[in-house]
Amino acid sequence: MKPRNLLALFIIPMGLIIAAVPQNKTKPYKLTAEELLGEVNTRTQYVTPDAVADMIIKKDPSLRLIDVRSQDEFEKFSLPGAINIPVTDLLSDQYTDIINQDIKMNIFYSNGTLTSNEAWMITRQLGFSNNFVLEGGLNYWFDAILNPQKPASTSPDEEFAKYDFRKSAGGALGGGGAIQTTQNLGASSAKPMLKPGGKKKKASGGC
Amino acid sequence: MGPLAINEIISENTNLFLAFIIGIGFGFVLEQSGFSSSRKLAGVFYGYDTVVLKVFFTAAITGMLGLLFFSLFGWIDLNLVYVNPTYLTSAIVGGIIMGAGFIMGGYCPGTSFCGASIGKIDAIVFIGGLFIGVFIFGIGYDLWDGMYLASNLGSPKISTTLGMSDGIFAFLLILAALAMFWVAEWAEKKFPREEY
Amino acid sequence: MTKTKEVKQKKYLNPYVGGVLLGIVLLAANFVSGRGLGASGAIKSTVVTAVTAIVPSSTESSGFVKEFSESHKGNPMKTWLVFEMMGVLVGGFLSGAFAGRLKFKVEHSPQITSRKRLLLALGGGVLFGFGSQLGRGCTSGSALSGMAVLSLGGFITMMAIFGTAFALAYLFRKNWI
Repeated sequence: MKPRNLLALFIIPMGLIIAAVPQNKTKPYKLTAEELLGEVNTRTQYVTPDAVADMIIKKDPSLRLIDVRSQDEFEKFSLPGAINIPVTDLLSDQYTDIINQDIKMNIFYSNGTLTSNEAWMITRQLGFSNNFVLEGGLNYWFDAILNPQKPASTSPDEEFAKYDFRKSAGGALGGGGAIQTTQNLGASSAKPMLKPGGKKKKASGGC
Repeated sequence: MGPLAINEIISENTNLFLAFIIGIGFGFVLEQSGFSSSRKLAGVFYGYDTVVLKVFFTAAITGMLGLLFFSLFGWIDLNLVYVNPTYLTSAIVGGIIMGAGFIMGGYCPGTSFCGASIGKIDAIVFIGGLFIGVFIFGIGYDLWDGMYLASNLGSPKISTTLGMSDGIFAFLLILAALAMFWVAEWAEKKFPREEY
Repeated sequence: MTKTKEVKQKKYLNPYVGGVLLGIVLLAANFVSGRGLGASGAIKSTVVTAVTAIVPSSTESSGFVKEFSESHKGNPMKTWLVFEMMGVLVGGFLSGAFAGRLKFKVEHSPQITSRKRLLLALGGGVLFGFGSQLGRGCTSGSALSGMAVLSLGGFITMMAIFGTAFALAYLFRKNWI
């Protein structure tokens, strides 16, 4: 038999098989259930609304707010500068570069924290880092930032500082209260540090 | 599983050691196939010896089928395998310049090292030329970095661009390659020349 | 240059067998390191090493060297492709030794002189070296490895290389036939 025909005898059936079977698009999970449970227990994924408000006002370039609600809800209301990735489309290829990176700090938010936690858990299991969840979701955001309650007069000074910050942040972010010129104490808690690594770099260029 | 180096199953130094072993295999197969001879390589453009075409396409198809099957069995994560980025302008212009270099010099970089290893002086001179060419590109980089970086399409797969699955594209490529092999063998009969 | 009976040479491998073996090598490279084979990258590493050794300030002044050092941390000679190409020299030598093809010679068509062949080889090398940098890889790195991973750029480069070589073949026919 001619070598060419022998070759054809092997590669044509193999080509047919590979054309017929569905592509393996599974993305292997990188974190074990125990590791994930550990992270959930320590609540490392949460970022407080104060920290987020502070970053928005300071125009922190590393911040990226991701609205994981549906597009309709996103269009009705969204946080300043947020982008919309409905949780249903989270794994679509067009968003891979956004949720799997080590430069920006992604903060997922939804109305409560259920949907945003779902998004966080999926990305975390895939081994992606630098994704966080807005603590309390939009509901708490409204209460805390856009409509803060004046603390009781007996409250400690920190409560007042926090209130002042929230009042001014809420004003700057389109809330009810007028902007007050109390000193901005930066009452926000320290923002979580970016954790490099996690993402496996593709092999760099060849020839 | 794979790619071993990226999933940190093997250390960086092991990876480099395996690079050396893989290189030996690469050089050995190239030489055994006759890629150390520039006249044999150039033969494909005149039809008297189409070994380049046959080896090249058989290798690409074997590698491609292997990767697709490895992915199917979950042995390798294709998301982690390097897909060459596509810069349309530089791919075409660079390819044209390389094509001209190929027909003039009779080698490509890989085969010239292979030829040099068995004492082909023209291959050694060709390698000297390669260094000069890379150096010229380097010193004049600012003159052509516009072209070098133009029309970046990212790292698309041809199957995605054509809107079909990897498997179907692979199958069509196999059929196309077999058709080319058939033409090549016909050409070798039509333009015969003796082995040298 | 035609059949010389003094050196008994073994025949070359059947091209399809060679192709399958080369494909397996390519697959092994992808499985181990997540990238295909390459050649011109090793030359680039060497050139960068030489340039930075002679003109240390070039790391800042030359966009080319700068781009390279940013994408390759550490010693430019301690890269995958450099080790691979050293392997190619060893592998080619071993194969040539087994097949009795080790011999210093300038291979050319009887119609041209060795001198002309060497000049053309030099010119071809310069063009190929330049083109491989512009095209981000040579026949092995861009075309062969790119095709195996179905890269669009790999197919375009492959067609450009072979298309041009076919188009110019007539002009250079005396060198080969």
